[in-house]
Amino acid sequence: MSQGMKSRRFIDEGWFHDFGQGMSLTGGRCPACGQTYFPTKPVCPSCFNAEQQKIPLSGKGTLHTFARSHMGPSGIPTPFTIGFIDLREGIKLFSLLTQCEPWDKVLAVGMEMEMVIEPIRQDEEGNEIVGYKFRPSRGKSS
Amino acid sequence: MRAVAIAGIGGMRFGTYGDRSLRVLGEEACIKAIRDAGMTPRDIQQAYVGNLAQWEWGQGLLIGHYVLREIGLTKIPITRVENGCATGSNAFHEAWYRVATGGCDIALAFGVEQMTVASSEKILNVFTGRQHAERSGDMGNSAPGLFGLLARRHMEEFGTTREQMAMVAVKNRHYGSLNPEAQLTQAVTVEEVLKDRMICDPLTLPQCCPRGDGAAAVVLVAGKIAKKYTSTPVSVAASVQVSGTYPDTGSYTCFDTDVRAAAAAYRMAGLGPEDIDLAEVHDCFSVAEIVHYEDLGFCRKGEGGRFIEEGHSGPGGKIPVNTSGGLLSKGHVIGATGVSQIIELVRQLRRQAGRRQVEGARVALQHNGGGFIHTDTASCFIHILRK
Repeated sequence: MSQGMKSRRFIDEGWFHDFGQGMSLTGGRCPACGQTYFPTKPVCPSCFNAEQQKIPLSGKGTLHTFARSHMGPSGIPTPFTIGFIDLREGIKLFSLLTQCEPWDKVLAVGMEMEMVIEPIRQDEEGNEIVGYKFRPSRGKSS
Repeated sequence: MRAVAIAGIGGMRFGTYGDRSLRVLGEEACIKAIRDAGMTPRDIQQAYVGNLAQWEWGQGLLIGHYVLREIGLTKIPITRVENGCATGSNAFHEAWYRVATGGCDIALAFGVEQMTVASSEKILNVFTGRQHAERSGDMGNSAPGLFGLLARRHMEEFGTTREQMAMVAVKNRHYGSLNPEAQLTQAVTVEEVLKDRMICDPLTLPQCCPRGDGAAAVVLVAGKIAKKYTSTPVSVAASVQVSGTYPDTGSYTCFDTDVRAAAAAYRMAGLGPEDIDLAEVHDCFSVAEIVHYEDLGFCRKGEGGRFIEEGHSGPGGKIPVNTSGGLLSKGHVIGATGVSQIIELVRQLRRQAGRRQVEGARVALQHNGGGFIHTDTASCFIHILRK
């Protein structure tokens, strides 16, 4: 094993921000028409308004669908589990799913899910690329 | 718009041709199509080529010029187009538009791709490029991933079964076994499909199209002069292109692009799904074909699983689908795929489809979806052809 210093970095620096309660996923909101999206956009795709607000996304939603992938990009060991999450904010997110084994017993369409910020893959040098994943919700309801 | 007809077709068996250049593959298809139309290259007034990428090197610079120069077709406007997996259909659509709007009387559309020269990893990287805002390729998504997710939601919402999805592969491989131009020519059973290697649960290997190398070409002519070149002209009754909306809301069981393109195509042709005798649709994965039945109006939403199970899309059914064997048998040779779908339908309408001939076929629909962004296909083309 190489003992070189391995770094950790976000998959995209613009995706995460500490709004005062720890890191959350950063969405965009248009103050003119109220549209919310992820990731942030250069202008509002609904009304072309230039001024955009950055807002924390809840990281909570329901499982729209899931699948078990036996192939994928290098740096993510197979098999792994993927899904679309319907966020409370009305955004659909593709995500790796975690802490859900055995996946075919644990997962069900419609179940409550919550976001965790974790390494999602390693790059060619072994550095950890950190992004978001979703797991079955543990909280009561918040 | 003027009437446009297809006067010549040139196909080839898709396969592994790493020992031949992209240019040589293109030459073969173009020569066949021009000969089939009873023409010489001097007759062609404009050409469009579909080529997604030169996988070993990157972008396919000037591939149309390289190919056509070798067969003596120079001077005329030659344009390469790219639109994801619907690249070949885009070339056809542009050629149709030029003729339909009077820009020229005779146009060549061809597609060519050579994918076996690149690794799966490289292809995955090209498809899940970093331009994608959500970077879902970096996050673990892939084409099988997207369609595995589609399959699971369709199963959950409509009760579609693994067996029904497997039946799509069985039907298309049966048709492929009757098509000398298919890459996979061995028929399979439902049991074999379900027992095969899992790619993205619930989809096994035979439910995922292979890639390959090859080319396909057609010659389009103004309807008024079609009879000069062919005794069996096939007319283009509709040619439609739409792009995706990438919705965040709604159920991931429907391609909005299909629905909008189909509505526009039926309107343009003055026909409805009940008039379609056979179709070639984009069966990149088994479940995709089931969803296309629904979104193209062959059956109601949610009933695609029953549509295949009851045999409506198979031999002797209401609308035989993918009689060429589809992408699942031919392989998805991206730039060539859309044009090769058109070629199959022309053969059927000319009664040249041999053992897979659909009796009495008069109206045929071609559907080709291109690329995937977030929750939607990026481009979608539908053509309706009639005898």
